[in-house]
Amino acid sequence: MSKNLSALARRKGLDDNLFETLVDNQGLNDDSARKALAKKHLVGESTVKGAASFYDFLEGGNADKKAYICNGSSCLCAGTQSKVQDSLEQHFDKADIGHITCLGRCNKNSAFRVDGVNYSGDDIDRLDEILNPKSDAKEQQQTPDPISVISLTGPAILTQPPADIDSYYALFADIAAQQSPQDVLKQISDSGLRGRGGAGFPTGFKWQSCRDAQGDEKYIVCNADEGDPGAFSDRYLLEQNPHSVLFGMLMAGWLTGARIGVLYIRDEYPEAISQCEQAIAQIKDQPLLNQGDWSFRFKIIKGAGAYICGEETALLRSIEGQRPIVSVRPPFPTQSGLFGLPTALNNVETFASVHWILTHGAKQFNALGNGRSTGTKLLSLDASFNKPGIYEVEMGTPLKQVIEAAGGFALSIKALHIGGPLGGIVPRQYFDQLTVDFESFQQAGFLLGHASIIGIPETMPMAKYVQHLFEFTAAESCGKCFPCRLGATRGEEMFSSAIKGQSKINRELLDDLLETMKLGSLCALGGGVPLPVENALQWFEHELKPFMAADLSIAIKEVN
Amino acid sequence: MSKTAYLNGIGYAIEDGESILDFCRRHHTEVPTLCDDSRLDAFGSCRVCSVDVALTSDGPCKVVASCHTPVAENMYIYSDSERVQKLRRNIVELVLSDHPPDCLTCESNGNCELQDVAGQTGVRQIRYAKGKNHLDQPKDVDHPYMRMDLSKCINCYRCVRACDEIQGEFVLGVNGRGFDSRIIAGADVGFNESDCVSCGACAHTCPTAAISDKFQSKSVQATNKVRTVCSYCGVGCNLEVSVKNNQILSVSAPNDAAVNQGHTCLKGRYAWRFYNHPDRLNTPLIRRDGELQAASWDEAYQYLAERLNAIKDSHGASAIAGISSSRCTNEENYLMQKMLRVALGTNNIDCCARVCHSPTAYGMQQSFGTGAATNSIADLKLTEFIMVIGANPTSAHPVTGAKIKQKVMKGTPLVVIDPVETELARYADWHIQLKPGSNVAVLNMMAYYIIEAGLVDQNFIDNRCEAWDEYRQAIMALDLDEMERVCEVDRELIKNAAIAYAKADKAMSFHGLGVTEHSQGSRTVMSIADLAMMTGHIGRPGVGVNPLRGQNNVQGAADMGCQPHQGAGYLPLDQAASLSYYQSAYNSDVATDVGLKIPQMFEAAISGQLKALWIMGEDVAQTDPNQDHVLNALQSLELLVVQEIFLSETAKLADVVLPGTSFLEKTGTFTNGERRIQRVNAAVAPHPGCKTDGQIMIDMMNHLGQNLPDFEIEQVLDEIAKVVPFFAGVKWHELGDNGKQWPVTPEGLDTQILHTESFKRGKGKFHFFDYQKSNELVLNEQTFPFILTTSRDLVHYNAGTMTRRTPNEQIMKEDVLLINPKDAQSKGIADSSKVRLFSERGEISLKAALSDKVKPGVLFTTFHFPELMVNRVTGDEHDSETLCPEYKVVAVDIEAQL
Repeated sequence: MSKNLSALARRKGLDDNLFETLVDNQGLNDDSARKALAKKHLVGESTVKGAASFYDFLEGGNADKKAYICNGSSCLCAGTQSKVQDSLEQHFDKADIGHITCLGRCNKNSAFRVDGVNYSGDDIDRLDEILNPKSDAKEQQQTPDPISVISLTGPAILTQPPADIDSYYALFADIAAQQSPQDVLKQISDSGLRGRGGAGFPTGFKWQSCRDAQGDEKYIVCNADEGDPGAFSDRYLLEQNPHSVLFGMLMAGWLTGARIGVLYIRDEYPEAISQCEQAIAQIKDQPLLNQGDWSFRFKIIKGAGAYICGEETALLRSIEGQRPIVSVRPPFPTQSGLFGLPTALNNVETFASVHWILTHGAKQFNALGNGRSTGTKLLSLDASFNKPGIYEVEMGTPLKQVIEAAGGFALSIKALHIGGPLGGIVPRQYFDQLTVDFESFQQAGFLLGHASIIGIPETMPMAKYVQHLFEFTAAESCGKCFPCRLGATRGEEMFSSAIKGQSKINRELLDDLLETMKLGSLCALGGGVPLPVENALQWFEHELKPFMAADLSIAIKEVN
Repeated sequence: MSKTAYLNGIGYAIEDGESILDFCRRHHTEVPTLCDDSRLDAFGSCRVCSVDVALTSDGPCKVVASCHTPVAENMYIYSDSERVQKLRRNIVELVLSDHPPDCLTCESNGNCELQDVAGQTGVRQIRYAKGKNHLDQPKDVDHPYMRMDLSKCINCYRCVRACDEIQGEFVLGVNGRGFDSRIIAGADVGFNESDCVSCGACAHTCPTAAISDKFQSKSVQATNKVRTVCSYCGVGCNLEVSVKNNQILSVSAPNDAAVNQGHTCLKGRYAWRFYNHPDRLNTPLIRRDGELQAASWDEAYQYLAERLNAIKDSHGASAIAGISSSRCTNEENYLMQKMLRVALGTNNIDCCARVCHSPTAYGMQQSFGTGAATNSIADLKLTEFIMVIGANPTSAHPVTGAKIKQKVMKGTPLVVIDPVETELARYADWHIQLKPGSNVAVLNMMAYYIIEAGLVDQNFIDNRCEAWDEYRQAIMALDLDEMERVCEVDRELIKNAAIAYAKADKAMSFHGLGVTEHSQGSRTVMSIADLAMMTGHIGRPGVGVNPLRGQNNVQGAADMGCQPHQGAGYLPLDQAASLSYYQSAYNSDVATDVGLKIPQMFEAAISGQLKALWIMGEDVAQTDPNQDHVLNALQSLELLVVQEIFLSETAKLADVVLPGTSFLEKTGTFTNGERRIQRVNAAVAPHPGCKTDGQIMIDMMNHLGQNLPDFEIEQVLDEIAKVVPFFAGVKWHELGDNGKQWPVTPEGLDTQILHTESFKRGKGKFHFFDYQKSNELVLNEQTFPFILTTSRDLVHYNAGTMTRRTPNEQIMKEDVLLINPKDAQSKGIADSSKVRLFSERGEISLKAALSDKVKPGVLFTTFHFPELMVNRVTGDEHDSETLCPEYKVVAVDIEAQL
């Protein structure tokens, strides 16, 4: 990160920010306009170009396409996308079709986007109609496609949208009137709530350190850049239960002293953006946003197509108009976050849990779950299940129970990929052993992560799936740290050339590469992808062995 | 009790805030790295510096990058475990899988961090098959200096970070992401088309040859590297000159330099090719039959001795004068004034400080007692508020300018008082864009608002200062309406800036020639001092009044006594005690009359009282104001002696020309703008036929009857230490690499901050001066309604004598006239068209550039292309106290030229 660029971005503030100008103007692809933008923001032309060129939808070969086809892991596994591609090609030039990873329509697959609107399932069969809408059809498209929700818990914490907004937010007014922030923070800590983005960091601790940090201003940032292919639980919350998220952010603001809550929502989720906008408009005039000497407002920042922005420091740099590359820690965002000021950044689902905790008490929340994993968790089950959708389960629920509740699999599955592209590949024999909580997964050598679940069908060659994971990592690597920037590409090359039959994989080299990425990478992207690859190598050895070289002396170049 | 961490089993005390990498280095344990440059923030991209860390002696180890992981108490660090050795090797192997294979043909061979780290980590083979790579990246070779070859880039971002964190330009960036990310200049337009300021910080930090320069400064061909001090501006950057066979190959800068930490501007790093330019003088010249003809040194000295003695005999010593050079060393300046004062017997000695910072020296002496910067540039790290008055440091003092910009970008409040929107003004919280010539009005208004708001430091004033009450009364009686009208700036802006300055705990002011080169120059300096004293922003770290001295050794030239009213060490010549001090110091009679200042010399030449003028390294014919007047003066002389490295416009008029040497060929000391006396070391022998200027002085004095040994640096510096009180403890061998800041005590201790306990003059003295409109405007503004103000550009140095004999000429090819678009419209002047610029004195023609950087009614140009003769239009007005010319306010008019 650049301290200078953060500080210069701070001068202009959130409401006149360079990144938003680029996004609102489709990358502002005009030399003199970009020059003027750089001058206005006191930065270099390379700063603007460097930022714009980072994002899929602002500049480069994938920007400004008429149609986009989802190439996420779930659609790949479902094998639905060649038909989607063929159908799109009947209406668009091949060059006008880009790719997008992923639309979070994994419950339906066959996902694609036309004119900024997302489609999935059998929508592709009515492409004609979509492209030539009848007069009132257009509006219908903008409304979210409801996701089926099943709660396996006693009390539904995350999947019970408020019936009445006024009484929902009355809780905040009561608390603000009757309790001290320190008491409320204790309740959050006592609840055992841990970050739902995947890392599982204790939320109370994070908010306490943001509260304790010195800063002229502070920020709450909601990480709504749910980029994990296979995950759509945040999309569900943002579209169908946005007030739970806003409430959590509001409360975090009051607890830490922050006055602005930023929702960084990925461009791939247009319905989430519009639903959140509507929700913010609904509460805009509520007196609860103005508590005497403290007030709170929301700001939505729309992403522009870069998976790495789900990493917290990259996300903050993105808002600042810098290239969203990963920053070193320390300093942690609670000390030096957005614009270099104390920032509490949490996942959508984390914020969404807060209302229930403060309504029912930390004790009740803590009573749910398993050990250090408390409360409930949303799972995203893709269309490989008979009943795909969002499942809310108590932490510690056996995975088997979830599979049963989902009606089993719609097709023959050899493994589940759980926790996103950096999560583990769980072979069938583990389905009976795992429970849905951080510890169970970790102990077995997997990762709960953000708890997306993709079925890998028997028909999907494991080598191809591993190549897909490397390809995804290479495409989404920010390029800062050497192990990820170089390693993901080399890994992808090793598997693709082995699949093509051009050369076999030097297993020793592959193991070295995986170790290098795992130990050396700066963030969880490069550091995480070795896990599913190692899972594949361990549990699907029989399938991958033919791709491995018997003789290790191949492909060696001497250094001079 | 200090905290301990364990490095490879041995416990050491840790320091607050240090990284594991710092800790390892402090304990002489090498950890390889590719992306680290200790001058830059830890970045953590290469991961080669990874180490194993456990939190208990037998606890589990975790791999962390040492550069950005803080060392903590009871950490057990294993810097070389098998696991990290393998990790490093494997990372470097990945890097080499996308790197040209042949080191032997590379510029950096033998001086390449990647090569070194590959060797250290033991990478012997690349097991990856040939895959995606950047080997075919096109090279960028269009720029006069900078070179980019991204096939060699390892994406460590050091160049981008240096451009951001050191220079503060954001010219370099990165395009795209992941494997495809690639360094770009500007909007991916190459160095030449970008806004690159050619500072070379990127090339300097690049660990490979991906960014270098046309001189191949990474090459190891040099057989000798000489550390010396730059001879352009007064910042005093340390340079490292690579030499082979008495030829300079390239110039770099040492990272351990206290002044510049490896940084320079394009002049210091790249503009050195003048040193052996074909135009160099290589023999003494004597005018015979109207022509300058080659002569031997002996002939020249004999001729001069005869002529000087004859003039002295018939007209007295006061018919002889000298102008010394602030480009020359302290020793040379000392010897020059000694020649005039001791060998010839006159105090007619002056130097170019007259035309730049003489008002600073005078004004600060009046206020504080010492005419030099009160603090050090390093205080920028501590300060909490910056005020820049009449200075454009990012152009004229680029390394200091970059440091100020760094501070300001990160949020330190800045007020800029300048009629032009300078680079720093763009980042300023308050830009007081005043009418040229109204500095005193603005500073008085600031004083008014500070007093009115009750923000004065009464304790400081009562204990440390005098003349407050009179001053205060005068300020409070100001007619604010009138002042606001005069400076043409909204009073609220001035008020807010003043209050912020006063409220800051530590505020530093910097000023330049936009303060001094005015009819109220000295008074402006004293007004700045008034603000510092009333707020207590003086005499402690992070505050002070800090003139940005223009030339490399202009501080030194004045320190050495090259001024007519004070001798070496500033003892006033109108006091008997000083005269007897000098008599005894020189063991000789000394002239007793106060001498002539430069403008007075010209007057005296024209009136016939001055017959001989000896000018060392100064092109007055081009650079002094009212050129016709100056030429008239020079032509009126019986004897004009010019000691130069090129046949300057002044030298062309001379009767005798003596070929001197540049800083690259001599040994001595320069004193920078923060009073730092630094060693200048000869990198190459004097140009054939030339002598060092110190030797010339000694030879000449010997021909005038003295008996001095050949120039020997230690001996001359020892003599200076005996004469100049604040040089008392200066010894050549004790100056070290980074010099000492005067005053240096007899024990050799130097001084970073002046006036800490008391002022040099005892009490700091408040001076009130009312704003006075410049005569230039009073007399001429009706006929010539525009105000022309001038300044320097980054690329060239003053008259361009040196820089224009380097490829800098390709970067900036001409001086242009900045005109506000409104004025341009009303005068029918188009962008880039020719303009006739004329004043009471004369006229010139130059190209227009429409710009919002100047307000309507104000014009701006640089003065690096003297053939334009901008000094034809400048006038004779000068500072009322020191006669420093008023270059900054010239009444002119313009018209479109067909």
